[in-house]
Amino acid sequence: MRYLLISICFLFVSCGSYPKKQNFQLDNSVSENLANPYFSDETKDYVYKASIDVYDKHFGGLLIIKKIDKNNHRVAFTTEMGNKLFDFTFIEDDFKVNFILDELNKKMLINILKKDFKVLITEKPKVSNSFKKNNNRIFETTIYNKTHYYFFNESQLTHVVKTKNGKEKVEFLFTEISANFADQISIKHNNIKLEIILKSITQ
Amino acid sequence: MRNLVYLFLFLTVSIQSQTQMSASEAQALKTLVKEQALTTKTISSNFTQYKHLDFLSNDIVTKGKLAFKTPDLVKWEYTEPYKYTVLFKNETLFINDEGKKNEVDMGSNKLFKQLNSLIINSIKGDMFDDEAFDITYFKTDKNSQVHFIPKDKKSSKYIDAFHITFNTKGDVIEVKMIEPSGDFTKIVFSNKELNKPLPDAIFTN
Repeated sequence: MRYLLISICFLFVSCGSYPKKQNFQLDNSVSENLANPYFSDETKDYVYKASIDVYDKHFGGLLIIKKIDKNNHRVAFTTEMGNKLFDFTFIEDDFKVNFILDELNKKMLINILKKDFKVLITEKPKVSNSFKKNNNRIFETTIYNKTHYYFFNESQLTHVVKTKNGKEKVEFLFTEISANFADQISIKHNNIKLEIILKSITQ
Repeated sequence: MRNLVYLFLFLTVSIQSQTQMSASEAQALKTLVKEQALTTKTISSNFTQYKHLDFLSNDIVTKGKLAFKTPDLVKWEYTEPYKYTVLFKNETLFINDEGKKNEVDMGSNKLFKQLNSLIINSIKGDMFDDEAFDITYFKTDKNSQVHFIPKDKKSSKYIDAFHITFNTKGDVIEVKMIEPSGDFTKIVFSNKELNKPLPDAIFTN
């Protein structure tokens, strides 16, 4: 019993909240609306050359994202030679697999991709807290019941961090940004060996 | 109502600009293409690839160069808007993705093997295998177009049909691969040169 108590105490200590660990200052005074603008233009075809490193394997292809309507996106992936590997639809909180290659049709993989892409395309996640640190404004949000922190530098979204038990689980980094468009995006998983790097080839 | 009739007539006429060939015309095309394929030792060509996804506003356009050397060396080199090369050689797929090199052994992978022979045959146009495909022959304004519909259930899950367009000489000028969803990949060849000597050095990664 005593061990249990100790280990519970230990858990509490080690699971300090992410904002605390990062020395964020709570600042709910600003009612700034959070918006991720990077896949919000319905007139645009977003096409990225993707390079994926999973464990020791490297492969590539094209990640294609299209906003169809309000809260409605298509996300598809093809090889460089045009073969479609998967095609997903996101409408509101619904998710549908329109197509996936048999070899990739694994529940775990689909789940990871679904969660990652949901972060990319969600334009206005619900904010529960806001913070300040140095020049950054940080918003605490929830996507698929998981806590995500959105970092803005001078009103530009620079990265998103998904956390679990106060630890960074997945990191989304937006770089080479100009006019609501991120030329490069990287998605790095810390609990599994998975990194996705996207470079825009939008014509 | 009258408009509807006109529309219908118009549609029939426009569809008819591509008419089905007679059996003898089809046979003649087959013979021509097979002869052409038999004498083709090398092919070098530019290509433009159009990836059509119904939900996109525009097709994704990529460009590059193709090199083929008999019996089974094929290199697809994409140069725009990114650099990416895939080389089929000795039952292996060599990929060069902007400097990152990768190999896939096709010997163990039946799907890749099929893909490879399909690619070689479609470049040459010689896919007239009645056991593998339902084949229909069409005439267009100047050219001919042949529709190959895979009979094998496994491939028909991914590919609804191949449409190959030949010029009057029996050369492939366009290959279109249509997915069951209606999305397609279209490859249009240009500046195609046959039997130009191609050094083996081209087929390295």
